[in-house]
Amino acid sequence: MGDTAVGGRPARGALPPIRLRLPRSRGVALAIYVGRRVLWMFPVLFFVILITFVLMHLAPGSPWDRTGGRPLSAAVVANMNVKYGLDKPIWQQFLLYIWNALHFDFGLSYQYQGKTVSSLILGGWPYTFTIGLLAFCVIVPVGIGLGVAAALRQNTRADYSAMAFATFGAAVPNFVIGMLLIIVFGVTLYNVTGGNYSLPVSGFGVDDHLIMPVVTLATLPTAYIARLTRASTLDILRQDYVRTAWAKGLSERLVVLKHILKNSLIPVVTALGPTFAILITGSVIVESVFVIPGIGRSFVTAVFSRDYPMILGTTILFAVVIALANLVVDILYVFIDPRVRLS
Amino acid sequence: MLGLHPTRSARGIALGAIALLAALACGNGATGTSAQEAPSAQQILRVNDSTEPNSYDPGQQTYTYEAAVGRTVFEPLLKPKADLSDVEGATAKSYDVSSDGLTYTFHLRDNAKWSDGKPVTAKDFVYGWKRLLNPALAAGYVDPFFDNTVAGGAKYSDVNAKDPAAIQSFLDGLGLSAPDSHTFVVKLAAKAAFFKWVATLWVGAPIRQDVVEQAAGGPVPVTDTTKAEAWANNAATIIGNGSFKISEIVSKDHVTEVPNPNYWGGAAKIQQLIYYFIPDQNTALAKYRTGELDIDNVQATNVPVVRNDPKLSKQAHLLPELTTFWMTFNSKETPLDNPKVRLALAQSIDRDKLTNDVLQGTDKAFQTFIPKGMTGYDPSLGASQKFDPAAAKADLQAAGVTAAQLSKFKLLTRNTTTSKTVNEFISQQWQDNLGASIQLEVIDSKTVTSRIRKGNFDIYGPDGWGADYPDQQDWFDIFQTNACHSLNWGCVTLSGYDSLVQKADTSLNESDRNSAYTQAQKQLIDTGAVAFMYQQYEYDLVQPYVSGLTITPIDDEFIPGDNHYHDAFITKH
Amino acid sequence: MAVVATVDQAVDWESPEQIGLWSDVWRRFRRNRLAVAGAIVVAVLILDALLVPLLAGMGLVQDPIHQDVTHIFGGPSLHHPAGTDYLGRDTLARLMFGARISLSIGILVQGIILAIGGVIGLVSGYFGGRVDNLLMRFTDIWFAFPDLIFVLVLVSVFGPSILSIFVAIALTNWANLARLVRGQVLSIKEKEFIESARAVGSSGFKIMARHLIPNALGPVIVTLTFGIPQAIFLDAALSYLGVGIQPPTPDWGVMVQDGYQAMNASAGQVVFPAIAIAITMLSFTFIGDGLRDALDPRMRR
Repeated sequence: MGDTAVGGRPARGALPPIRLRLPRSRGVALAIYVGRRVLWMFPVLFFVILITFVLMHLAPGSPWDRTGGRPLSAAVVANMNVKYGLDKPIWQQFLLYIWNALHFDFGLSYQYQGKTVSSLILGGWPYTFTIGLLAFCVIVPVGIGLGVAAALRQNTRADYSAMAFATFGAAVPNFVIGMLLIIVFGVTLYNVTGGNYSLPVSGFGVDDHLIMPVVTLATLPTAYIARLTRASTLDILRQDYVRTAWAKGLSERLVVLKHILKNSLIPVVTALGPTFAILITGSVIVESVFVIPGIGRSFVTAVFSRDYPMILGTTILFAVVIALANLVVDILYVFIDPRVRLS
Repeated sequence: MLGLHPTRSARGIALGAIALLAALACGNGATGTSAQEAPSAQQILRVNDSTEPNSYDPGQQTYTYEAAVGRTVFEPLLKPKADLSDVEGATAKSYDVSSDGLTYTFHLRDNAKWSDGKPVTAKDFVYGWKRLLNPALAAGYVDPFFDNTVAGGAKYSDVNAKDPAAIQSFLDGLGLSAPDSHTFVVKLAAKAAFFKWVATLWVGAPIRQDVVEQAAGGPVPVTDTTKAEAWANNAATIIGNGSFKISEIVSKDHVTEVPNPNYWGGAAKIQQLIYYFIPDQNTALAKYRTGELDIDNVQATNVPVVRNDPKLSKQAHLLPELTTFWMTFNSKETPLDNPKVRLALAQSIDRDKLTNDVLQGTDKAFQTFIPKGMTGYDPSLGASQKFDPAAAKADLQAAGVTAAQLSKFKLLTRNTTTSKTVNEFISQQWQDNLGASIQLEVIDSKTVTSRIRKGNFDIYGPDGWGADYPDQQDWFDIFQTNACHSLNWGCVTLSGYDSLVQKADTSLNESDRNSAYTQAQKQLIDTGAVAFMYQQYEYDLVQPYVSGLTITPIDDEFIPGDNHYHDAFITKH
Repeated sequence: MAVVATVDQAVDWESPEQIGLWSDVWRRFRRNRLAVAGAIVVAVLILDALLVPLLAGMGLVQDPIHQDVTHIFGGPSLHHPAGTDYLGRDTLARLMFGARISLSIGILVQGIILAIGGVIGLVSGYFGGRVDNLLMRFTDIWFAFPDLIFVLVLVSVFGPSILSIFVAIALTNWANLARLVRGQVLSIKEKEFIESARAVGSSGFKIMARHLIPNALGPVIVTLTFGIPQAIFLDAALSYLGVGIQPPTPDWGVMVQDGYQAMNASAGQVVFPAIAIAITMLSFTFIGDGLRDALDPRMRR
């Protein structure tokens, strides 16, 4: 239960902070906070859409410029513009888009004829989400576990090996890691077992198809979370009262461990928020290398083909996910460290 | 048995500068000698199509990776003979040309059937071609094949796509008719000896009106552009007349096809044809090595790996394409408007080093326009662009231009591995052999396209062309004066060229046409309109148990034999 | 000596951690062997970046853009200790020259990110309330910022200038650090010693500086060191879009990308530049750890 809050001097201009002394109203206060944050998502989304819209139309190259193959004739280009409403003035297009978006109509993709942006995103998202979620489930325990262990054994061999792993995970980009895995567990394993077994090289399946993409996706974030946890844990460990309690023996250690985790988790949780958002909206590299039919490539492909509705659709998705993730992180702050006050 | 006939025409698709293919290898037919067919459970052919089609409606397709799928599911009137010397019947068993050359009458086969068993009728062709030419649907492959040939098609660019009456009257005015259920008649606007090849284009496939309307939930107004495509988004409603039909589409992953049991040529032996969309060449190679892929294209950086591997090198084949590449100069900028300057740049490229070393032998050096394998190929025409640093320097001097003047130019490059590699080499060649320091400008592909369309570049490459069909007509309009900003990126103006090409396009006399085209080709080469560099070959891996492939230089998307998968089969292994 | 240490510790029992005198910091840093090793390596890298054109001029290092297409993908040899790349260029020379671009971008960008993200995080966390809300919503917008399109627009407007790289990378990557710093500030803000310091009359920012840094610097340093390879790879990806360096200028990130295409043919092409990046990151990790340890007077050494 929360420590007694000291002096409740509210921050300037804010609503009164959540008073954690009264557990009964805590739920209500939290609900109000969440409600306000969700409302704030609308102006955030509006600006994201506005910025994206403007940048998109500023970028050189039109959706109909062919990057290979016969260029389209002027007549066809004109007809395409008519077909997709690009002949209207920009501000009109923007307002029309906002209006449609409010009705959850995100338009038709320019690149994939006749398919709606919503169907493309919703169709591909389950694959990306599965892999991202699995990777997250690996990152959290492994990253935090490694980090705490390394901090408790600072400057020992265990610590250095963890540091080596972290450096490897960060300095080697994930396409190299992915391909290394494919070469070792795909091709080499196949040759060594005489063609009897190997991990499937690419594609999605709820079986051993998942192993390599998840490992590849999880490597860098695990390294980062591990190092982050280690640094944050060390900051706590330095404090003498912690050190003394630890020295007192096993019975105290459990309590201290809980205390350490509680205090050191703030930066870790902060980093996990955007990490989660990025994982479940997909990695273009992992999905290209392992040919996952998800939405990880959608944004990049859309930008390179100037598929405006897809660009907007994927950007909106990401904006929503990240705003929600950061909201969850902020709420978690309060649960982890009750002294933290949110406005 | 693999029949390698790198001799003539093939359809290829026009290429801007697509990522090039892999290296050289000399392939021999690599199939088992005993053509013992494997049991039907094993008759699965898995191919890498690298990119997913944007649409499964053949009329909306334009790229080779789309044609690869489109061509197996739909079939046009005619198809090229395997040796590319002429056309032969596909859905149409024969055709007649009127004596004035303006009317083509196609006689459809009596046993040509759709995958759902209904017969293919001439009405289906009329509907398909009218859909193709509907301005509201904005099909990319209409120009110049259909709007410049079919009578009444020239107005295509002027029709207001928002006005249903205007569209309807345009469509009604086209020279397309079906006097009876198995006769399809096309009236041409002008004589065109190459029209028989246009009839081999896969975009000219028939389309079933009832299929389109059922998926759209009713008759489709001519101005409608979304419901009109609903049928093409679902494997179940894509009814085609090709040798295969689509059974499953997993977006961004693969497309699975099964034999069309009603195909007039009999059902294919392959029970499952799977096109994977694997963008990463390393992944595809790994998949091939673990036996999960049967046909793979190898790119330059992996060619040494295949060549040095005792097992893989026996499964590799070097196959020619009817595609050539060159460097384009912006002739609106001095001193690139001077032919001698352009020739100097062309003569300072060591093409042998480029193709043998840098590109790992996956392309063949040459200095002419029309590739080997097609009528019109003549290496002797290329003398003036041959690699000769001394002549290059002399040409530059004769033009009164210094290397320093050239050093202010930038080499516009697309952000693909191959473009970057080739251009780094060429830029160094110009440095070494001419003393001109022309720096690269690597930019994202769309921006490059938008810049060359506006003429906002100095030098651009590698630019190229792949034959749509093996007739020279397909090639020469690239450099016409009025193609400035739309294929003639450098806006080269050559005196007499336009009329020469016009004459050749409209003549019905083969030898007249060929000599006119040859003259035009010589003009292109001698004035250094562009610096021709190499013909594209592809380096492919084919598993030894894949048999019955007929490979032609017009196979789509670097997939050997894909024009004739109907005859392919898997041998026991 | 031991007695003094214990007394120091006893005195510090009740009061919060503060940054000691800078000379103490330096002394403690010097005693950390790993940190010193890291600093030396970084110094060597910087020296290499500065001097390598001179060395090439003297013939000690090969020309990084000299192509030798008959020896493409050569393995390590006497003549080419790190092998050759896809155009037969000497990989070692390209690595040494690559340090110029990669180091400057990797390191300097972190400075910009620290400046922007750090300030926003600090202000947001410290002031709380409406300021926090507005700044964090602004950060939310920035997380979702379509950086790829932004880069394309930058290229079309400014062309391939080095400044565009800094703008592109820094501007699109500070949000994570801002959230992190804010989180740290929030968790410290309510601690007793802050209140007591405020009660004594110390100004807000001074409190932040003296207490935040030793207590919360750890995660910030980790984020910055992880940001170095991230910036290098991002720069490589961007240069493929027209922002920043153009081929044939060598750069570690670009070398890794190109090496990836050749991974099967010549593994060294991807291994060597990755090692260079790893060494850089490791050195900064040691320096960062050493710095943090040095700033903490409690570290027993």
